[in-house]
Amino acid sequence: MTSRCILQTTLLLYFSTMALAMSNDLLRSQLSSSSLECQELLLQLNGTTEYCLKDRINFEIPEEIEKSRQFQKEDIILITHEMFQKIFDIFRRNISRTGWNETTVENLLVKLHWQKEHLEIILEDVKEKENFTWDNRTLLHLKKYYLRIVQYLKAKEYSICAWTIVQAEICRNFFFLNILTDYLQN
Amino acid sequence: MGLARPAAAPDDAPPPGRDAPGAARRRGGTTLKSPQNVEVYIVDDTFILRWNRSNPSIRNVTFSAYYQTLGNDTWLKLPGCQSVANTTCDFSSLKLNVYDKVKLRIRAEEGNNTSPWHNIDSFTLFEKAQIGPPKVHLEAEDKTIIINISLPGARDSVMWALDSSSFTYSLDIWKNSSSGERRTETVYSRDKIYNLSPETTYCLKVKARLLPRKNGIYSPVYCIKTPVANKLPPPENIRLDSKNNIFVLRWDYPYGSVKWGHARPNVTFQAQWLYAYLKKIPGDSSGKWKQIPGCKNVHTTQCVFLQNTFRKGIYLIRVQASDGNTTSVWSKEEKFDAQLQITLLPPVITMKSTNDVSLRVYISAPEESENKPVNQNFPLIYEIVFWENTSNAERKIREKKTDFTFSKLKPLTEYCVKARALIEDDKWNKSSGFSDTVCEKTKPGNTSRTWLIAGICAAIFSIPVVIYVVKLLLRCISYVFFPSSKPPSTIDEYFSEPPLWNLLLLTSEEQTERCFIIENTNTISAVEETNQTDEDHKKYSSQTSQDSGNYSNEDESGGSKFSEELLQQESE
Repeated sequence: MTSRCILQTTLLLYFSTMALAMSNDLLRSQLSSSSLECQELLLQLNGTTEYCLKDRINFEIPEEIEKSRQFQKEDIILITHEMFQKIFDIFRRNISRTGWNETTVENLLVKLHWQKEHLEIILEDVKEKENFTWDNRTLLHLKKYYLRIVQYLKAKEYSICAWTIVQAEICRNFFFLNILTDYLQN
Repeated sequence: MGLARPAAAPDDAPPPGRDAPGAARRRGGTTLKSPQNVEVYIVDDTFILRWNRSNPSIRNVTFSAYYQTLGNDTWLKLPGCQSVANTTCDFSSLKLNVYDKVKLRIRAEEGNNTSPWHNIDSFTLFEKAQIGPPKVHLEAEDKTIIINISLPGARDSVMWALDSSSFTYSLDIWKNSSSGERRTETVYSRDKIYNLSPETTYCLKVKARLLPRKNGIYSPVYCIKTPVANKLPPPENIRLDSKNNIFVLRWDYPYGSVKWGHARPNVTFQAQWLYAYLKKIPGDSSGKWKQIPGCKNVHTTQCVFLQNTFRKGIYLIRVQASDGNTTSVWSKEEKFDAQLQITLLPPVITMKSTNDVSLRVYISAPEESENKPVNQNFPLIYEIVFWENTSNAERKIREKKTDFTFSKLKPLTEYCVKARALIEDDKWNKSSGFSDTVCEKTKPGNTSRTWLIAGICAAIFSIPVVIYVVKLLLRCISYVFFPSSKPPSTIDEYFSEPPLWNLLLLTSEEQTERCFIIENTNTISAVEETNQTDEDHKKYSSQTSQDSGNYSNEDESGGSKFSEELLQQESE
């Protein structure tokens, strides 16, 4: 009897871990392709002009993101959701002075929104789990970082140079996002 | 609570007559206690500090609060909370980064008397902030209510500067008349509520939410009455199906032919789409709806368009009916995710039989078709159905690999297989159709041959063993039943003694032999061991003369040689 019970339990564990692994894979592949598409669109926006070099600023991306320490799966979902949401919030702002192709920016917003919505669905589930402590510190640092970017844009009155600097910074964001996404692989 | 802590002096000069703050002073005989139940209450951009008196008897008690940001050593005055007589103070004028950690402390003061500090652990303004009640503007239309929710807080809110496009709104609606039946919906800031009854008063309230865990305060209850239904009703139950590389949009319109006593002329429909993200951005999106190609002025309750019209993203679709003169209100806006609607194409499967009675299966991706704009790079798993051609028993397995083997099958039997691709996810259970069925026969069994070979080898190895055993047995049997006439080996020794030795021994009497040799041209006389008389010898020798030629015994022949030598010796 016990040997059968053990067999069943082993099978159950095996299949459930397989199931978890599979949905991890799906999320990872979604995030990777979203990130790639967004990066491509970002790069399509007109490049920097020389005289913007003086407007450069160090936005101080949080160390946890830059050094890419290993996070738990739920934290990764929270962090990537926050990043997609904030990047969406940045690019929906006034870009009239940049002369960028509006369709490209539209596509970028569509993709960011799509990924954000998918992460929100997962997040609603993760939220239900009790006994889970969010990594509030990293989230707080991220929010401060994006506030610096938005305040910079406001201060520079959404000039083309300010937007170019921000565009480069967001490209860097996607680089780190890709590294984070890789940690979803068990 | 109420701990006396040595603290750095506040920035400006302390109240006159005081040297070291923080120590409970006995002046006038009373000890002031620090305020109790101090809490920070933040709603949008309003920051409030609340507490309870702990010295109710003493009059003229005022309270002062100070703050300190992390990393800074000095305690600064909290604006709006200096020497307040009430038990609340508003420090909204504090210009601080809402994500920075801050510490607060407060104490009671009465003249020169101060209570110990009451400290509040460090916190960020953002984490303690609650989303305030939103403002809702309502408009009632034909069986729908149009809502317009304005963002909580001021437009240039400091608290929600980054979150203006991240709010979701939760709406509770109920009929004013009946008691129960509350409906809760998640709505955008500019949205509609559908499926309402005409000429009914509905009441609703809204709250804003922010992921992960912020739930806002409910707005006040707003009520409105829906008008009489008189316009053309809108289409209902919009759904989108996908087939190959096209989308089919369908809806219901049960008001087509006859209603209210008069026949309706031909009704046409049109469908429009909008990027869903536009609903999240402040501003009016009503002018941004676009026509779906192939869905304008259609007479049927469906329309068809190519899948590559919509790139990966989330869209909203609405349909409107028109009867020439009037148009209906727009239908409910259906959310649709182009990605979820993709058609998974069935995979291509091939099967080969291998030598050891198994079948190897290869799964490959379906043929690439034109018009495949939607990203199909998902990790797929395959569901394979495997059965014997004659029986109905099917085996279903799920595999991630595209190359695997079914082993331990019956030889010379035909098996069939078909497979389909799956994306398995909690929310997204999508599968392709089944591939073509492929059948293959297994090769003849090698098992009998191997058994034969094994048997032969075993036989070969066992033969010597068997022979040995048989030989042993025969020896045993012959020993028991057919004893040999051989003298025992001990006697044998005598006959095998060398002749020289015997020659020497001839001199002793015991071993001498008396022989009479009768010469005969034809015969050789045999030698006897006996010491018998001559007569006997004569007899014996005549007898032996006949047989002597036939004797072939070893000893006797040895003996005969010996006698020849004797003869030679005596003749000499």
